Amino acid sequence: MQRNIWTRFIGISFLLAGALAILYSRPVLADSRWGANYFPNIELTTQDGKTVHFYDDLIKGKMVAIDLIYTTCQYSCPLETARLAQVQKMLGDRVGKDIFFYSITIDPKNDTPAVLKAYAEKFHAGPGWTFLTGKKEDIDFLSKKLGLYSDPKLSQDGHTPHLLLGNEPMGQWMRNSALDNPRFLSQMIGDFLDSFRNMKPAQGKENTESAAIHLDPGQYLFTKKCGACHTVGQGDKIGPDLVGVTDTRNRDWLMRKIQHPEQLLAERDPITMALAEKYGNVNMPNLRVSDDDANYMIGYLVSRTSELQRQAQAQNAVTKPAGGAGGMARPNQ
Amino acid sequence: MGRKDDREGFWLSENSDRRRIRDAEQARKNRAEINKALSHGQVSRRDLVKWGLFTSAGLMAPIGGLSPFVRPMNAQTSSFSFGTRSGGSGIPTGLPSSPLFGVLPFTQPMPRFDVFQRNPVSSLSPAPQAQANQTQQPLDPALVGGQTGLTGPIEGRPPGAIWAHQRFAQNPPVIGIDASTSPATTNTTYNPQVPSSLNSGINPATPIPLKFHPSMPTQQPNSVWTFNGTIPPKLMLGRYGEPILFRHHNRLPADVTQNNGFGRNTLSTHEHNGHHGAENDGFTGAYFFPNQFYDYHYPFVLAGFTTINATATDPKAGSPNGSGGINKVPGDWHETMSTHWFHDHMFSFTAQNVYKGDAGMLNIYSALDRGNEAINDGVNLRLPSGTTLDWGNLDYDVNLMFSDKAWDSNGQLNMDIFQFDGFLGDRMTVNLAYKPFFQVERRKYRFRMLNASVSRFFVFALSDSSTMVQIANDGNLLPQTVPLNQLDQMGIAERFDIVIDFSRYTIGQTVDLVNLQEHRDGKGPGQILTVSGALSGSSSDPAVGACLRFQVVRDPAVPDQSICPNTPITLIPNPDLSKIPIARTRQFVFDNNANQTQNDPVTSYTGGGNWGIATENTGGSRFSRGGSALKADFGRISSAPKFGTREVWILKGGFNWDHPIHIHFEEGQILARNGSFSNVPQAERGRKDVYRLKEDGTVTITMQFRDWGGMFMEHCHNTMHEDNAMLMRWEVNAAGGVFLNPLPTPIPKPTGVTFQAPDEILTNAF
Repeated sequence: MQRNIWTRFIGISFLLAGALAILYSRPVLADSRWGANYFPNIELTTQDGKTVHFYDDLIKGKMVAIDLIYTTCQYSCPLETARLAQVQKMLGDRVGKDIFFYSITIDPKNDTPAVLKAYAEKFHAGPGWTFLTGKKEDIDFLSKKLGLYSDPKLSQDGHTPHLLLGNEPMGQWMRNSALDNPRFLSQMIGDFLDSFRNMKPAQGKENTESAAIHLDPGQYLFTKKCGACHTVGQGDKIGPDLVGVTDTRNRDWLMRKIQHPEQLLAERDPITMALAEKYGNVNMPNLRVSDDDANYMIGYLVSRTSELQRQAQAQNAVTKPAGGAGGMARPNQ
Repeated sequence: MGRKDDREGFWLSENSDRRRIRDAEQARKNRAEINKALSHGQVSRRDLVKWGLFTSAGLMAPIGGLSPFVRPMNAQTSSFSFGTRSGGSGIPTGLPSSPLFGVLPFTQPMPRFDVFQRNPVSSLSPAPQAQANQTQQPLDPALVGGQTGLTGPIEGRPPGAIWAHQRFAQNPPVIGIDASTSPATTNTTYNPQVPSSLNSGINPATPIPLKFHPSMPTQQPNSVWTFNGTIPPKLMLGRYGEPILFRHHNRLPADVTQNNGFGRNTLSTHEHNGHHGAENDGFTGAYFFPNQFYDYHYPFVLAGFTTINATATDPKAGSPNGSGGINKVPGDWHETMSTHWFHDHMFSFTAQNVYKGDAGMLNIYSALDRGNEAINDGVNLRLPSGTTLDWGNLDYDVNLMFSDKAWDSNGQLNMDIFQFDGFLGDRMTVNLAYKPFFQVERRKYRFRMLNASVSRFFVFALSDSSTMVQIANDGNLLPQTVPLNQLDQMGIAERFDIVIDFSRYTIGQTVDLVNLQEHRDGKGPGQILTVSGALSGSSSDPAVGACLRFQVVRDPAVPDQSICPNTPITLIPNPDLSKIPIARTRQFVFDNNANQTQNDPVTSYTGGGNWGIATENTGGSRFSRGGSALKADFGRISSAPKFGTREVWILKGGFNWDHPIHIHFEEGQILARNGSFSNVPQAERGRKDVYRLKEDGTVTITMQFRDWGGMFMEHCHNTMHEDNAMLMRWEVNAAGGVFLNPLPTPIPKPTGVTFQAPDEILTNAF
């Protein structure tokens, strides 16, 4: 055994010498410490079935946002993906030009390129956002190198909603939560990690305005936990527009839907099944919403709906259009 | 395969022979070259796989000459592994062992801290002002991605009324301290403020290059960033009732890539744990850029000054007046603080920047703790210090900053920035000197010990297991001194003030300070060894063992007049909070992946979840776990205690982790550990600002919210955890509601700070 290793080592040393000889005949480019010599260049497959190499094709010379997902996740992944979709929207056409998003599955057995493609479409993932699968051991190794790995023994599903943001040529890397405020995340990657390349001169008012702000708890919670997938009166997103939902569904059902959506699914609740059918079978995640918070959210849905109705009536009183409900979207649930 | 074998495979210990270290470094280079050749298309993957250099999975094969953690010349039975818990590979985490360049321990004197010059505030130009100075200056194009012609404000503090210095007119700054964070350079102005006989013979006039040992390489400018760019670390001296204006200049490179692999060039400085307005607290999101300064206003008031002893009549609430007397100050003397530190608090980059050197200490002097051991006025506690000055004698009052470091084959400070679960160095430094010695007289000394590591915990004892007397915890003098043969575990950012009486030794004797706390990874501490076990060198953790040698060199020149016997004496009793009603009980869970089992009925804010601090109810079942934990978006308000009230906070730790939790703003008292006061060690029965939760532990504390308002933070002081979401923002709020009246969040940019509402915006439908 010892001898074999020895022999092998000597052999490799010669090969190495050969490889290095090739290298030294060319000029050596300066690179960041967190570059080719750090990131593994493993092979991955995109949702379109294309083979890519992690370092060479995905991150070299780019600004990137990388998270780990799996498509059957009932916990944070759907919100994570919906949040990233918001971030993508805020960054606009920079995504695909100088900023690239990568969602890598930790469940390559189930998440084939076709499954990932369907998943990406459900969440309206735009160009510049690639969903990737590969060999399980490669992905585990990569996620360790990226500091995204979670020990499956220490969590229920072996997944933590980390989001790695990086600027490869500048060697700047930071790990955030993929559930964070999308505006915050878009600023972190678009401005901060980009070394403020797109900075405009400061606006006078914006620069000094710092009045205290009043927030409604229900609005705050809705924005934070629901707003990535739902609107009130602005139409469907990943899930239905919730305007008027408190009139069409009873409160107990709403509370269960907010707090324990996976139970309704497991029971094959008819309303839930119909909604799932209509909205591409995206799992509504269990976000561990407390009773108090669920009540705040429902309170917001009620007050926001009636506010929109009042606005619509006022609008009608002025313009008297034929349609009745003004520009307000119909409840879709 | 045994555990030992497992470690053998990828740990390069201090005892590794030099050839092995050289091999490891060569391996690293080889890997880099092959990767580069591959990425430049000079060789193909197929070739490499064929040659056996790559596995078919595309990984570098686990063979000597390629992996720094594989022994090339030895039979190696364990398979290649990147560690089982954190993806780390031993100590230093993720890096090869740091070479010693032939240096032996205890062969350099330990430098005393370098004391900041205290000048009249009038020395500062431009003069400090209540609101941030928005005078424009041209921006270095490197700050804005090469754009030219842009301007930005000279001060990085957020502008406007909310970020103006609170109570600035009542507490006008008297002392001005002008300092910078700068790239490493030689110190030619060392001011230890003690004679060289009390500084192990160091001649302060000799220039000090930035090295961890005189026989180790000089640090390149961007390997180490410290206050004023120099070592020794800096010490600020303050006293109650004498406000200091600390003008902190950012003189780091404008180009973010000029960091030798780690560190961010934006800064926010936290005075840990100052009772100041939030605008001076080093809020993580109020960072400033190269070529800017930030004016921090430290008024040095006793907590409660707005309600207790407000007319300043109690002589115990006082400050040394410079001529043996006391200037009375308002506030509660039971809240007197002594030993602080200050360090960078940059969002997401605190660990890198503090590790890179951006940390100093602050001694605060008071009538009780005036740094003069001779004045006998019935108030002064006469702790070991000296007699020459009216206050602030450093002769026998010594600051010690402990931190573990790692460096590369060229001796340059090194860090693996992807070790988000915690980073450990393999080389112990004291005051940024590798394993130094310190010469002492046969008398009592006070040591102000600070754990300034990124992820490392310590447990200290003397090599002869003799007595040390702990007098303060987190800079607060204890109700009673605590004689100990082994100090309590010391988490990151904790400070223990201890007194050692060297009169028990004879001239020529030495005694070592020994670290007994072993780590296996950066998530939390492992086992605590015995003194003999730690000294035996058998631990695989290179930072275990002796780290500082005391050499007893002479009898004291003047008699020791300090008071601190080896039996308990009273220092500062805790403020009595029992008459103040508890306005609210809140629960905070610091966890990675807790199995949250139940709601706690007493709290409104419970919760579990992933990384981050959960403060909300869990509506879920035992196994539901999702993303409810609040993350480190500092734009989000997590709690808003009502101004002028007292609360009880229950801090819960997580499975398999240990988090030293730091709560900014005001000192708390520990009411219980795991539900019982009897579990609280004697040395933790004073006031504190960092709370070690221990694995799965619960710490119940009580705090008051008074005097100042604004946004503060609560976070894990394992800075790798802090940087990765284990941080939340809370505000003292007059209305007392969680959601009411949050302040706008500052968004610093080189062109100036803008503000945003702390909520998330409603986005339009797709």
